[in-house]
Amino acid sequence: MMLVTKPVAELCALLIDELHGELPSRIFATLLSKGRSTLPQLSQYTSMTLRQLRHGVAVLLQHNLLFYHLDPGTEFAFYEANAEHAYNLVRTGKILEMIDTSFGAPAKDVMQSLLLSGQTRISDLVAAYQDKIEQATKAGGIVGDEDDFGAETNGVNGDSHPAKNTGPQVKSTAHLNSIICRLVEAEVIDVVHPKTFESSHDVLKTVEKEAMDKHFPAGIKGNKAKIELQERIAEGLRKVRDECKSLKRKLEQNGSAAKRRKLFTGVGMTNGTYEEDIDPALDPKQVIRINYEKCLVDLRNRRLVQFATDIFGETTAYVYGVLLKLLTKDLPRCRSDPAMDVGEDKDDDDEKGRRSVTTDQILDNLKTSVDLSLGIGKAEKRQISSAAAEKVELYPPKKKVLIAEAEVDGEASPDEDEDDSDSSEESDYDSDYKAPTTNGVNGTHGTKVKFDESAAPKERRLDRPTQLRQHLLLLSESRQHFVRHCGPNEWTVDFVPLINALREAELDSVIERTSGRQGLRLVRILRAKGKLDEKALPNVALMRKPELQQKMLEMQTAGFVHVQEVPRDLKADVKKSFFLWFCDVDRSLNRLLDTSYKTMLHCMQVLEALRQKERDVLETTKRTDVRGREKDTMRKEYYERYSRFLECERKLFAQVMRLDDFVSVLRDF
Amino acid sequence: MASTKMADDSAKLQILKDALYEEIRQHGSETRLFTQRDLLDLNIIPNNDLLLLVRVVQGLTDDKLLVGTTNHHAGLAWRWRSREEAKKYTSLPNDETVMVYSIIDEAGADGIWNRTIKNKLNMHEAVVKNCIKFLESKGYIASMKNVEHPNKKMYIKATLRPSERATGGPWFTDGELDTAFISELEGIVFEYIKTRSAYRSSQVQPTAFSSGGTAKPPKKGAVTADSTTARGTKRSATDISTDDTSAPARGGSAKSRHVFLPMPAGYRHYPTVAEIAKFIHDTGITNNTTLGEADIQQLVDVLTYDGLIEPVRVGRRRGYRVTRAMKQDTVPFQKRAKEREAGIGLDQPLAPGPEPLSNGLTEAPCGRCPVFELCEEGGPVSPSNCVYFLQWLDVEDLPKAVAPNVALPP
Repeated sequence: MMLVTKPVAELCALLIDELHGELPSRIFATLLSKGRSTLPQLSQYTSMTLRQLRHGVAVLLQHNLLFYHLDPGTEFAFYEANAEHAYNLVRTGKILEMIDTSFGAPAKDVMQSLLLSGQTRISDLVAAYQDKIEQATKAGGIVGDEDDFGAETNGVNGDSHPAKNTGPQVKSTAHLNSIICRLVEAEVIDVVHPKTFESSHDVLKTVEKEAMDKHFPAGIKGNKAKIELQERIAEGLRKVRDECKSLKRKLEQNGSAAKRRKLFTGVGMTNGTYEEDIDPALDPKQVIRINYEKCLVDLRNRRLVQFATDIFGETTAYVYGVLLKLLTKDLPRCRSDPAMDVGEDKDDDDEKGRRSVTTDQILDNLKTSVDLSLGIGKAEKRQISSAAAEKVELYPPKKKVLIAEAEVDGEASPDEDEDDSDSSEESDYDSDYKAPTTNGVNGTHGTKVKFDESAAPKERRLDRPTQLRQHLLLLSESRQHFVRHCGPNEWTVDFVPLINALREAELDSVIERTSGRQGLRLVRILRAKGKLDEKALPNVALMRKPELQQKMLEMQTAGFVHVQEVPRDLKADVKKSFFLWFCDVDRSLNRLLDTSYKTMLHCMQVLEALRQKERDVLETTKRTDVRGREKDTMRKEYYERYSRFLECERKLFAQVMRLDDFVSVLRDF
Repeated sequence: MASTKMADDSAKLQILKDALYEEIRQHGSETRLFTQRDLLDLNIIPNNDLLLLVRVVQGLTDDKLLVGTTNHHAGLAWRWRSREEAKKYTSLPNDETVMVYSIIDEAGADGIWNRTIKNKLNMHEAVVKNCIKFLESKGYIASMKNVEHPNKKMYIKATLRPSERATGGPWFTDGELDTAFISELEGIVFEYIKTRSAYRSSQVQPTAFSSGGTAKPPKKGAVTADSTTARGTKRSATDISTDDTSAPARGGSAKSRHVFLPMPAGYRHYPTVAEIAKFIHDTGITNNTTLGEADIQQLVDVLTYDGLIEPVRVGRRRGYRVTRAMKQDTVPFQKRAKEREAGIGLDQPLAPGPEPLSNGLTEAPCGRCPVFELCEEGGPVSPSNCVYFLQWLDVEDLPKAVAPNVALPP
């Protein structure tokens, strides 16, 4: 879980200030610094009146930024800050964009309303939209007004609203209903129930108590009972968690759900093809909210696709994106919770085994416009060892071997024998595939391998499934293990090692950017070899000693490498001691995480400072006669300052978002 | 009478000495140790007369033609020394010099530190200094540098070349790590691996994928749509490929269309260390240094640690391939280096491989800020007066008007 450090607390307060105003922000900050408090306590800390506090607390509760806990028989509830959700505010823009790309603009509009109004009863949402639709139809599309929610939203999101002149995104209540249904089925929206307002700690306690009362009234004796209690608790917690999904279940039971899903979960936008007559069974009293956990899964997919783009290129990454989308469709969250999912493994075993995608499934979901022949080099059949490429790995990789390089060369099992296995597996290539005769591969053309493009006509094109397989195999062959070929034509992703690889890549890029390539070299040497004496390093790194020592010190201050002093004897003479360098990836990453929080905070503070400096200009823009017509009404010099400020604001928000990308990788994925 | 016998004896001894010396030389190199048994078995000394052997060996040792040593296994043993060497010994003026010379001689190709000489011989520093000066002037010994102890004054016999350990192997020139040589060679090796482990393609690349994967990637068909409709038939594979080659010409800048692509999985011809070593050997770039496979492995490892290449195992073959093939520069590294000399592309850093990846942290000023730890609202350095941020946001002139005294010097 998220550790609330000082920069995080300040950042959260600033974010809330940005989106919901100063009052909630101050209450939130107080709650973070003082811990659980009741209203009278809060009033004491903040010297605000109870009335003011109630206002603030209501706003916070509305946006699920507070937990509360009411002990039976007490007068006041305890409030507790929900730092995680406060931090999630930073992702608002990103989530909206993701919804836009995968569900279409109307869905984004609904999502935006939800984000702005917090937890909302469905009937309220419907009413709000009804008003809007009516207004729009009355105005006849002349006024391209921004929806009433959109006024101040460009806050975190960073992109200012393009003027929409197309009228309302959501065309009717039926349309709204179907959008909500889709979002609920995709789990990005879930249902609010009383337990969502309790902190995980309180929930755990309640569940624990229930389990004790129900199953172990006489207390626990022995290990077996302890384990059973653990299971009961996990089960109870799962039940609480699953309550959020009640609406989804209901929709799925509804006969039309499958049909709808079939229509809408396809890749790309399905804008405009709704069956308007369907009016799904949405309970208007149900309160819905955004499910950040599921949104994170989608954001993770996007990040991984980007990672794949960096390493392979767009086409392969696109294939990977489709695979991930299929694979994570029913994945509720990025990481399983150790407290809840211990028992789940057992009864979910077959379900987990199912978490793989077949080549055909991917093929069915690829856009036909994508040319799969791009992005992978051509090689003659005899240059390819299909035995090695097609290797099926049934099980996820074991824990990392200490020294990964220690591969024994003689370990090849008989089936890896390339010479005879190749001829047997020709299914990948057409049998009349002709080897281009002009290829001078083996060095006859000087230092460059020349793959003659003119030789290509002779080659028959591989069919699409084969091309797809090539991309998938490429992904599975990679060192980062993007994909595991877990059965013939079945593919899965082991997220934990993959995300670790991604983290390492992020760390590496930070090191390379700050300490140069040589710094990166040294760190990676240490990572591969473990602890290494200072004297042994120059030889491996092929670097001069003084330069190396300077680099190491520089990186030690930056927290990328660490040193351990091992005295040779009891006297611990410094001159005689060994100095062992090592690098602890987790430690470095934690430090980077902290740095990122601080950097985000700094960005927000810089923005605040800019606002202070430009406050005369900004105050002008708040005037009702200026607002919306800044360019015409303001003096030229003022307007320039204003637009420059907006640009800075955009840059800073974009930077905060990019930092959040980084934080997500380090913390949440 | 006695004297003639003596003379006769010494002549006989001389004959025996010569015979024994020659026989010893026949039986092994200068490093072979001969025990007493070995010497007797040479059948030079008549009747295996031990006393005679002692006299002969003593005589040879005095002439510096034999060197006595003690060996753990065989006890006392001798090895021979060439006549020229022995002559050097006998030509030395005094015992001290002989001792110093012999100690340097014994150190062999590793050389010896002058302090060690002094300590071993327990002589006065001035004496040792004198001896060394004399020997150096005669050209018998030479000073050398050891990479492991660059500050120690070491001596070695002038006829020997310093050992690998002392010179540090092929990567050192005059006791200094030859970074220029290494980076040059790294560039060559990287270029070799790059061109051999990735596919050089001139096809049109999809450019406009959005990260969500919804944007429609431009496909080859788009470029060639006109020709397709003109013929009104399905395109055959031939058409597509010829389109490929003609596409760059139509696009104008042919250079930008070239790109490296990753090889299909299971590619069997990723270069191995042995191949790279052979390539380096064949090109003869390293004319006076011989690089073994182990040396090349060291170089390849460094490239791996740099993140430029990665090892791949296909079957039993352990080859290396370039990382992030798509992002690689299709212009050879050497050519870039030459261009740089000519003054082109100086704005780009000269290092093999693509630009490192970046993320939000490295881009923000904070990621590289020297005073990051001190920076705090209310402190002397704070985000609100940060000059780096203002530079980054490109609003430098703006605050000067409002707040002329910025705390941090740029």
